[in-house]
Amino acid sequence: MAAMSGDPQDDPELRRAQEKRLSEVWAQPQGWRYWTAVNNSEVGLWYTATSFGFMFFAGVLGLIIRAQLAVPDAGLVSAETYNQVFTLHGTAMMFLFAVPIFEAVAILLLPAILGARDLPFPRLSAFGYWCFLIGGLFVTGSIFFDAAPSGGWFMYPPLTTKYGGIGADIWLLGLSFIEVASIAAAVELIVGVLKCRPPGMHLNLTPLYGWYVLIVGGMILFAFPPLIAGDFLFEMERAFDWPFFDPTRGGDPLLWQHLFWIFGHPEVYIIFLPSIALLAMMVPTFAKRPVAGYSFIVLSAIGTGFLGFGLWVHHMYTTGLPAVSLGFFSAASEAVAIPTGIQIFVFIATLMLGRVERSVPMLWSMGALAIFVAGGLTGVMLAIAPFDFQAHDSYFVVAHLHYTLFGGMMFPLIAGIYYYYPIATGKMLSRRLGIWSFWLLFVGFNVTFLPMHLSGLLGMPRRVFTYPADIGLDGLNMLSSAGAAIAALGFLVFAWDVLRPKGEADAAERNPWNAGTVEWQLEMPPAPWGARSVPKIESRYPLWDDADHLRNYDEGRFYLPDAEEMQRETIVTSVLDAEPIQCLRVPGPAIVTIVAAFLLGAVFILATFELYAATIAAGIGALAAILYWTWTGTALHPEKPAKDIGLGVTVPLYLSGPRSTGWWAMFITMLGDLTAFVGLPFGYFFFWTIHENFPPADAAGPGWVWPLVAGLLLLGAWTATWSARLLNGRGRVAAMRLSLAIGMASASAGIAALAAGPWWHGMDPTAHVYPAIVWALVLWTSLHVAVGVIMQAYCLAGSVTGKLTPRYDMDMWNVSLYWHFMAFTVLVTVLVIGGFPLVA
Amino acid sequence: MSTGAKEELRRTSGSGTDLWNVVQPPTIWAVHFLISYLAAAILCARADRTAPLDPVFWTVMTATAVALMLIALVVLRLWRVEKFSTVDEDLEFERNTPEERHRFLAHVSLMLSVLSAVGVLYVAMPVLLIDTCR
Repeated sequence: MAAMSGDPQDDPELRRAQEKRLSEVWAQPQGWRYWTAVNNSEVGLWYTATSFGFMFFAGVLGLIIRAQLAVPDAGLVSAETYNQVFTLHGTAMMFLFAVPIFEAVAILLLPAILGARDLPFPRLSAFGYWCFLIGGLFVTGSIFFDAAPSGGWFMYPPLTTKYGGIGADIWLLGLSFIEVASIAAAVELIVGVLKCRPPGMHLNLTPLYGWYVLIVGGMILFAFPPLIAGDFLFEMERAFDWPFFDPTRGGDPLLWQHLFWIFGHPEVYIIFLPSIALLAMMVPTFAKRPVAGYSFIVLSAIGTGFLGFGLWVHHMYTTGLPAVSLGFFSAASEAVAIPTGIQIFVFIATLMLGRVERSVPMLWSMGALAIFVAGGLTGVMLAIAPFDFQAHDSYFVVAHLHYTLFGGMMFPLIAGIYYYYPIATGKMLSRRLGIWSFWLLFVGFNVTFLPMHLSGLLGMPRRVFTYPADIGLDGLNMLSSAGAAIAALGFLVFAWDVLRPKGEADAAERNPWNAGTVEWQLEMPPAPWGARSVPKIESRYPLWDDADHLRNYDEGRFYLPDAEEMQRETIVTSVLDAEPIQCLRVPGPAIVTIVAAFLLGAVFILATFELYAATIAAGIGALAAILYWTWTGTALHPEKPAKDIGLGVTVPLYLSGPRSTGWWAMFITMLGDLTAFVGLPFGYFFFWTIHENFPPADAAGPGWVWPLVAGLLLLGAWTATWSARLLNGRGRVAAMRLSLAIGMASASAGIAALAAGPWWHGMDPTAHVYPAIVWALVLWTSLHVAVGVIMQAYCLAGSVTGKLTPRYDMDMWNVSLYWHFMAFTVLVTVLVIGGFPLVA
Repeated sequence: MSTGAKEELRRTSGSGTDLWNVVQPPTIWAVHFLISYLAAAILCARADRTAPLDPVFWTVMTATAVALMLIALVVLRLWRVEKFSTVDEDLEFERNTPEERHRFLAHVSLMLSVLSAVGVLYVAMPVLLIDTCR
């Protein structure tokens, strides 16, 4: 791709003009409007900083725990405060740091790693960030009002359903809100990896970070929704007394444990894999050679992603389940050590085959491997049920989980921050401070947590606010607390290094680590445009393999070197072989995303205080904001059908259907939504298995007539929506509008029919778990169909106003996809509530 | 469509492997796992603790046989894809052609088949050792 004669990019004047246009288009807003930015480099930075803020907050809570436990019979905090402190420590570390930091770092780095200008839905990222910030402040702030959740980070009922105060509501609603942000990020990142790789980056050339992000995004889609379903049931019990977890009325507290851990165990891997992904980027750089066994990493990451879902009961070994059930989960828990081990061995092999260069990121990476291996081995011990019976709920478990989280997440993450700091800021972190903070934290960590294995085996239980003297725990606890102080010092040195003002001396040179991957093509300090030109990828390490890469990149000889129309653009490629298929216009700064996030946040916060009128008002406001956002910002008609993106490639500016990013986003979102829904029939059949007769013999309703009517009406609405898409595609606009109107009427009638069954049979959801779970299914399906009606109305309005035409029909495709999922949801709901009682 | 264009289409999308093929073996594992778990959970939730596990034993054994057979079928198909390879015999898969992508995904899928088969065997083991709902 050397300069050919007649290449317009030979002209330096032209290049300067291009750069000026690109800078202007991608410039970040100034003044207070800075906060309206949606670009991944800003949002990712805020996201990362906010997650670390919550981490430091939760870390201080951890120090309070260690201070209270330093000596026996201490009175630093009361038992009640202690409950709040340890609950919030775990909750904030998991939900406000460990998971969001994955999203934060991925939003920040993924476009650079893929050589893209931005992710496909920048406003969605920004929306997710603001949701996270609001929800996080709400949950953490509660402790200052003595109202924090206090039932442990996994909120087991009946403790948390019977326990007074709004702490549990804050937990349920605040975290549900943050889960929305997580799923938004997962959608963004999956579509990013599948559709926004640079041209030529076949799946087998995709950087390992991309693979990990894809797998973790997929895991989030199947892991978080069961928790959302669980939160829904739990909050219905707390707010309206629907007895899902109350055994006196047919409920069962174990259902919560199942739903929580179906989320909770995969979450461990959701936390671990993205951090290991950072190691997979760093290790080859410092070994100065390609990663050994690329496909082995991919296979073991996929394998972990699957096996990670077969482990959840190993948190429930002591709940009295039959031994054979424990056996299945114990077997799967042992099996998952295989793919996890492969990844570690691949890193070690890469280091052995290369010439390793000493550096701060490498130091942290080595520390990570050492700590993680120790944590992994105690995990293999705990996976064996009889051992777990002994160690369960003791400090041994506390030691184990901190070893896996520090080794599997914290240390790789800090390594990644030392490595990628130049990409975020254009500056380098200090080598001296990095080494200091590493040794302080490494020693401090081990001094804190290694003795806990022993104190646990000696019988010290988790979550006790104090212990008597002279039962052999004094010395070990004092040692742990001293270690915590050293670790805290290490964190402070690290924080100072990140935050200290940096001058010219700290400026990063280009590609400071001599890495081979594409993100290091960035100018230092990074320019606002993200990528001067989107590269054509020929190998896994283009900066090592192609001597001309940087020159071609700088001189705009790759794709999209310009922004002629003064629009933000990035390239969409095909899933498998990354053929360019679209030039995607991405939106710029917006305030509506912030408004939407605040209003949606208000819905959850007001509901916590049972201010339902205000909740509904905020909900309507949030809906209006989201409609305004989609109407003004999505599926816009381009001024021309196609565009030359350079290197002789011309691609369309508008796509709809399965080739477009919007369709994939809808598909992925609905996959997650479907998983959440499955939690409800799971609950229904869970109750069926534990009760002799379920549905109870004397239960009235909902009968089979009304569910059948509802099913027919709602499937009719689905057919009408699908027909509307086909009719619109054939240009029969009037028929399409009629079909949509019929669909709306049929869907609305269907909602009424669905509710009619339990309603006319007088089913009281507070009386017994059977009417409660039937109503829960009806409520869930009705709300979803109602959203479907709004979507139909949106398309109808679009068709009437000319926003939606036979040529520009993305909305219609996406809405009809939504309705395909609705058809399945409706089918399951009516078969379960109407059909199952007939056969049970 | 010209012969060249057809050939190109076959290269980029045709006979080989895509992401759906890759997730087949672990999906088989997951279904096998769910069947095993649900069979035991449903039987033991209704029965008392001394109830024999025979129905579960046979369910798990049948599911295991079917799962291993399905994984074997996947392996057989992948074996053919790998044979299409016209390039070097290392396991790096670093060339930028659609064929190499097929080979790469076939290799990942093949190794995942091994892992999934091991997973299936692991999960089948408890019913060999435990014979009641205790």
